Amino acid sequence: MSTLPAVVQVFLFGLVTALATGLGAIPFAFVRSVSPRIVAYTNALASGLMLGASFGLLAEGADYGRLATLIGANLGVLFVLAAGKLLGDHELQFGAVRGEDARKMTLIVLVMTVHSIAEGVAIGTAFAGGTTLAIVITAAIAVHNIPEGLAISAVLRPRGASIAACAGWSIVSSLPQPLLAAPAFLFVGTFSALLPYGIGFAAGAMVFMVLVELLPEAFEAGRRSTIALLVSVAMVTMVLFQQTL
Amino acid sequence: MQPILVVLVFATLAAFAAPLGVLPLRSRTAVPPAWLGWANALAAGFMLGAAYVIAETALVDHPVRAAAGALLGIGYTHLSHRASGVGDIDLNQLDEVDPSYGYRILFVSGLHGAMEGLAIGLAMLESLPFGILVALAMAVHNVPEAAVLGSVLRSSGLGPVRTAGLAVAANIGQVLLAIVAFAIVPAIPGLLPWAFGFAVGGLTYLAISELLPEAYDRAGPVSIALVTSVATGFVVLLRGIVR
Repeated sequence: MSTLPAVVQVFLFGLVTALATGLGAIPFAFVRSVSPRIVAYTNALASGLMLGASFGLLAEGADYGRLATLIGANLGVLFVLAAGKLLGDHELQFGAVRGEDARKMTLIVLVMTVHSIAEGVAIGTAFAGGTTLAIVITAAIAVHNIPEGLAISAVLRPRGASIAACAGWSIVSSLPQPLLAAPAFLFVGTFSALLPYGIGFAAGAMVFMVLVELLPEAFEAGRRSTIALLVSVAMVTMVLFQQTL
Repeated sequence: MQPILVVLVFATLAAFAAPLGVLPLRSRTAVPPAWLGWANALAAGFMLGAAYVIAETALVDHPVRAAAGALLGIGYTHLSHRASGVGDIDLNQLDEVDPSYGYRILFVSGLHGAMEGLAIGLAMLESLPFGILVALAMAVHNVPEAAVLGSVLRSSGLGPVRTAGLAVAANIGQVLLAIVAFAIVPAIPGLLPWAFGFAVGGLTYLAISELLPEAYDRAGPVSIALVTSVATGFVVLLRGIVR
């Protein structure tokens, strides 16, 4: 590896972290049923994981600049509103799935992909600080991507996506990581100024996706106390996972 | 003013904001359902924002102890809801209510207020100005909460003065818990991250189980998501201004 140019190394490390996202699909090999109740509880699981991930992002963004993070978060909210509206206007198909389910599936992949952009920039700028810690940073981000794949699969799988499709879309959602890590590494000055906006955007988009799409649907079919339990436990676990690793 | 008196004054202010929500119910005009939904969403956003800020302090420094505390807070809130049979209660049911519904609502409000009191006390420990902001946010949030409680109790035949009294009573535990948390938590070494975590877990659970479901039913997901996220962002932004 050490013979490769640094920027290629950064790209390859980013690719490894993207592939790790696919591992999140594995637990869903055992979920077949598509009952509304299962959808409600997997929605709750995805909500908790996404809220937990947003917590980590917001805490990180606050170190760069609270106001910039908050501006970014507002843009993220507008993005989800606009994307949800646009997707609703078209007759969508996601694999063999159509209609409202296809809209929700497209939206989660879109939101998680957009959120990876900020993570890719974060990888690139971290590497610019020196590649000695490269392996540690890569391992940390790879591990933290797994529950994000879990969140995506939790939305895709009960709506009829195959396990391979869940893993595939999870990986696709993380591809911006290698793709943006490289330019961020090369032009670290420019990118680090944009980082808090990007982090805020990612967090805002995920929180809003949870509030506008996942939770309302969950409450239609699940017990509210069970949903609250799943969301809050998944959120705390995700935060603990990301803060300690 | 002594710091503990600041806690007393502002926690009391928050509790006594409740009757303001009962006042407009003198005439039995119904509150428009969408407004109830938005009020709930505002309350949920304030709670989530307070939970986020408290978590920011605790989880970053002591992730394991704070997370364990959070799981305890979630478990406690979940069990107290389930055990008392209010886990799936609709808090904003305005028609066809029997008196026992009113008293169950009162019980839920008490549980809920206790967790808010803890949040006020802990936020005061972070910094007094921030604690005052959280107390004011809870005061604002107690108004619509009491409006719901009040209209339920009124329709089960209670007079306006007793209704206002019960609305305060449901929130009075908040004052006690705020003061106890403020005085005791720092005195016991190592308790801080556990207590912060406990409040984070409880506030999150309550916002999701009690406030958001009815909000969605009454006003639709888009406006509810907007009000909730703006209210959350507002608290997070204030925390940045009031260090």
